[in-house]
Amino acid sequence: MSYGPRRRTRLLQLAAGASLLLAMTGCSGGLAGGGGGGGDDGDGPISFGMLAPFSGSESAFGAYMQNGAQLAVDELNADGGVLGRELELVVEDDACDATTAVAGANKLVTEGITASVGGYCSGATLPTLPIFDEAGIPMVIPAANSNELVQGLPGVFLINGTGTQQAAAAVQYAEEIGATTVAAIDDATSYSADLAASFVEQAGDAGLEIAFEETVTPGENDYSAVATELASVQPDLVYWTGYYQEGGLIVRQATDAGYTGAFLVGDGSVDAKFAEIAGPGYTDNVVATFTQTPDMIEGADQWIADYSELAGEAPGPYSTQAYDAVRVMAQAIEDAGSTDFDAVVAGLEGLEGFDTFAGPLTFTDDHTLSGGGFVIVSIDPATNAFVLKDDLQG
Amino acid sequence: MQLIWNGLIVGSFYALVALGYSMVYGIIKLLNFAHGDIYMLGAFVGFFTLSAFGISNETSIPLLVVIMLLSMVTTGLIGVGIERIAYRPLRKSPRLAVLITAIGVSFTLEYGVRQIFGPNPEAFPIRLESSGFDFAGMRITASQLVLVIIAAVLMLVLAHIVERTREGRAMRAIALDPQGAQLMGVNVNRVIATVFFIGSALAGAAGVMAGAYYGSIDFLMGFIIGLKAFTAAVIGGIGNLYGAMLGGLLLGLLESFGAAWFGGEWRDVFSFAFLILFLTFKPTGLLGARVVERM
Repeated sequence: MSYGPRRRTRLLQLAAGASLLLAMTGCSGGLAGGGGGGGDDGDGPISFGMLAPFSGSESAFGAYMQNGAQLAVDELNADGGVLGRELELVVEDDACDATTAVAGANKLVTEGITASVGGYCSGATLPTLPIFDEAGIPMVIPAANSNELVQGLPGVFLINGTGTQQAAAAVQYAEEIGATTVAAIDDATSYSADLAASFVEQAGDAGLEIAFEETVTPGENDYSAVATELASVQPDLVYWTGYYQEGGLIVRQATDAGYTGAFLVGDGSVDAKFAEIAGPGYTDNVVATFTQTPDMIEGADQWIADYSELAGEAPGPYSTQAYDAVRVMAQAIEDAGSTDFDAVVAGLEGLEGFDTFAGPLTFTDDHTLSGGGFVIVSIDPATNAFVLKDDLQG
Repeated sequence: MQLIWNGLIVGSFYALVALGYSMVYGIIKLLNFAHGDIYMLGAFVGFFTLSAFGISNETSIPLLVVIMLLSMVTTGLIGVGIERIAYRPLRKSPRLAVLITAIGVSFTLEYGVRQIFGPNPEAFPIRLESSGFDFAGMRITASQLVLVIIAAVLMLVLAHIVERTREGRAMRAIALDPQGAQLMGVNVNRVIATVFFIGSALAGAAGVMAGAYYGSIDFLMGFIIGLKAFTAAVIGGIGNLYGAMLGGLLLGLLESFGAAWFGGEWRDVFSFAFLILFLTFKPTGLLGARVVERM
């Protein structure tokens, strides 16, 4: 028997009922955040949500970000909180995966967070933007920096330089060392592909010759194909925009294959493991584009000590950005005098020269940093750590 | 020429792992999806031992061989343990149940290691000297030569065991007819355990070699190579040892050329497309015998 008329009506009723239910829950979710938080009754703690990878291939960064943010929360609470209320940090795992991130974002919204201070992988952060936007939750994104995140949503602010800004720093460095031919290698993730494309575009505009563009699959150990290509084409400079594990392997394999030019890597590769994986003697010609970190900043010793005491380990990549994201958001709420969405957004837009690790912060009209804050770092062979080489200020 | 050499290097890793796949399938018709994770375990056993002794950045080949033998014994025993705990109780169950169990074992190993060693990739403490020289249009490094030689020696030893020893004869007998072999007085459980030991030991050796060659190990490193080794085994003819070696090398070459022609991101697409082609048009693989289903 096929679906008769009666059957169809019942199905329709069911569907209508279900969608009504959905709409209602959707609505209440929207209301919860919309007025500065239905879950925000005005005197309990103000909760900041953070999506970060705690599992999956990027899981190391979740802890770095959480601890950085927690340190800021603790400090602010010790100073009397925000608007006289306690701050609390709620973290959810996004596994650097879009599906998990969407589930996590919905969970944070239902938990009634006031603001979001998370976002590491651009690919996972992107689908969460409309969820937070609909719920009226302002976002200060500490780490993810794909240009796609800048799409005109009013509540989205990036405090890590965008791919365009990082690529500009890379091109500037290429010109400084007198490179004429450059190559770009990415790992097909949103952040990496974006950065590579932006680099190729700007390098082309600057009159550099693009030797080739290549994409590799992360997680493989063998990158001999791209290593061989590098060795035979010999561009003056190659820009690797992916993460450190593959970066270390590519540097090693390309050097073994006979490539002698300069390696420039993106901020996702900046970690002491990079040099360990590449091996001693392989990192002499490796530099990276990076936003400054505490160990490169004078006078950050106290901060590092505080962080280490809280986390039981030294800070890592994006600890400072997460720390700053919390402080930026808290300052904006304090300035706004309320947790209302529009007021907080106005507060964020109104920040001027707010002191962060990446320098004084003022948001542009796109809600990105006015200065990218990117510097060139190189690897210290004694400690494997990345150290400041060139601040690109001329 | 360089492409061929690159392909052979990767291919020898695939071949070593594919051997274990093929042996286990040949004897109990089980696709042991946890096999790639044994490879990962081998690398981590080596890493753990070396870290325990505080060794880092060594380049000694004898040390590598010692660590490799140690890892082989450990992963071999782990392989036997897995068979005993997870597969033997299910030997009479439908094949699907065992297959799913294998996937469960795979995840248990991966995330067990993640719990112990953390999610970050680790730098492997032994590195092989990799100064290169040019030969016949190829750039060859000393470490690559060492790896190819070790892989070849291991495969020769295996071929000797299977062809010339009593254990080997018992394996072949069971593969042919388990019940018949049992009637002839072969201790089936013991032989299956031996097969798991040898297969896992080879995978463990490959894991240590990969650690020393690439220098980076992580808890998910076994996943892709497990699938690739399975592909290699299918290409060569699953259940056939020489097929596994041939399939491994061939897959390495295919990937090397595929990546060079289509670009690195197409490498996996290319190799798994071959898996589908083979399963569609020649499911017995290159060296696989035509199996007559016994009713």
